[in-house]
Amino acid sequence: MTERTWPEALDPVVLAFEDCFDAMERYELLFEYASNAEIRLPPDDWNDENVIHGCQSRAHVECSLDELGLFRMRGGADAQIVQGLMEITRIAVDGSSCELVADLNPDFVDAMGFRSALTPSRSNGFMNMLDRVRNEARRLSEEYV
Amino acid sequence: MHDLRELRAEFPILSRVLPNGKPLVYFDNAATSQKPSSVIDAMSGFYETFNSNAHRANHTLADEATTALESARSSIAAFFGADPSNLIYTSGTTEAINLVAYAWARRNLSEGDAVVLTEMEHHADIVPWQELSKEIGIEVRFVPLDLDKMALDMDAFQHALDGAALVGIVHTSNVLGIRNPIEDIIRLSHESGAKVLVDAAQGAAHERIDFNNLGADFVALSAHKMAGPTGIGALLATDEVLSQCGPFLTGGQMIRSVSTEGSKYRDGAALLETGTPRIAEAIGWGAAVDWLSNIDFEKMHGHIKHLAITASNGMKEIEGIRVFSDPLRPESSGTISFLHERIASDDMALLLDEGGFAIRTGQHCAQPLMDALGVVSTNRISLWIYNTEDEVKSFLSHLRMICERFGR
Repeated sequence: MTERTWPEALDPVVLAFEDCFDAMERYELLFEYASNAEIRLPPDDWNDENVIHGCQSRAHVECSLDELGLFRMRGGADAQIVQGLMEITRIAVDGSSCELVADLNPDFVDAMGFRSALTPSRSNGFMNMLDRVRNEARRLSEEYV
Repeated sequence: MHDLRELRAEFPILSRVLPNGKPLVYFDNAATSQKPSSVIDAMSGFYETFNSNAHRANHTLADEATTALESARSSIAAFFGADPSNLIYTSGTTEAINLVAYAWARRNLSEGDAVVLTEMEHHADIVPWQELSKEIGIEVRFVPLDLDKMALDMDAFQHALDGAALVGIVHTSNVLGIRNPIEDIIRLSHESGAKVLVDAAQGAAHERIDFNNLGADFVALSAHKMAGPTGIGALLATDEVLSQCGPFLTGGQMIRSVSTEGSKYRDGAALLETGTPRIAEAIGWGAAVDWLSNIDFEKMHGHIKHLAITASNGMKEIEGIRVFSDPLRPESSGTISFLHERIASDDMALLLDEGGFAIRTGQHCAQPLMDALGVVSTNRISLWIYNTEDEVKSFLSHLRMICERFGR
């Protein structure tokens, strides 16, 4: 495994993707993460407030703090690849402090073999989602005193 | 038509291998075509040997640049059966349509006048008219698609023509690949007293459009979908409608004289070209039409049609795939929209890209058509002259694999 710049919770995820035989197998695994995501934002809750702009497909994310002040996120997308990346991001940030979430490094996506998700022209979907999550973490951190 | 292998060799990009090691299969020609070496060389040659501004100076380079710019105009106009004086360089089809809206319609239409459009239009032929509607109160009418025939509802079209001042019609749909009955539409429109603006962005890459024979008042074109460079297109306009135009963009080139008291403008097409022209792009487009002039369009159409039918038939056999186009129809081009019932269009595009297949996904700047089809987006393959049967078979094989592995 390449040098870790992501939360420890993602280690088994990154390892599973590194074990994949080829790109299509990685996508199959990502589809599995998408379809197995138990915590997600249902389409009924998709609105203009939580929409992520820059995605060709529809993608929404909602962030909040729990009673202990820890970060929680729910994401919903009509494309499985975006939903899968949302679920893995959720695994990375769920229950973390806002400070950690605000500094989340996107390198884990590269380590999982989805470098193309980070290229400038195609990064919009994932990077805009990640930016939203990090910005929400900063906002919630300021509000939670 | 040339031997296909020889023809492909003229397009350097077609031998490209993608970063994942897959050879490029380019099926996104309706978005933009690839460019032959002659176009690339013509543009490089301009910058390497006679780059200069045109119509502005007496030195040798300026003379060569001006000559090349105007020579390209003559070649392009001749390719489209038009006089050079009826060709206005624009940045592309979108600017050409906006030019009609700003320079002609704002001076010749008024509150209550009707502009007839269709559900098949690209946003470029919708939004300018909606803006004009907000500004001066024109009525915008939309002719629906007959979903059973997957064609324009011509009865509804004739009904919409009543009292209309202008018809904006897409020659060939960028989503369905369907060519509209342009000749009938122009005839009916003129009989009804309406001017006609044809969006030929897609059509010009698939058939020889003869402006004078077609009889449209305006034809909007893009170079980059027909082997030319991006950033240039044209509006072809008759003498009659040109004489009815006022200035759009103002500044250099379009003026006769400027003083502190006021300015006097040139007439005709010259009124509508402002500022430094797109010289390299015009030269590239000129090289593209020279290249296309050696192509037998009927044979090209037959080749593309064969590929499209092979692709469409193969796609229909794959469980879960819905095909929106019908390449069997004689008027269809090589554009096929499709959708898998369980694989989102964005996912499909990325999974195909993994196999080296460049296809388009999304709304294709045609949201009213998406609404009419009852979908949010589609995947689209669009074939052109250099695509091969092997590429289509390889695409079908990869698509089948994707559907089996991801569409369960």
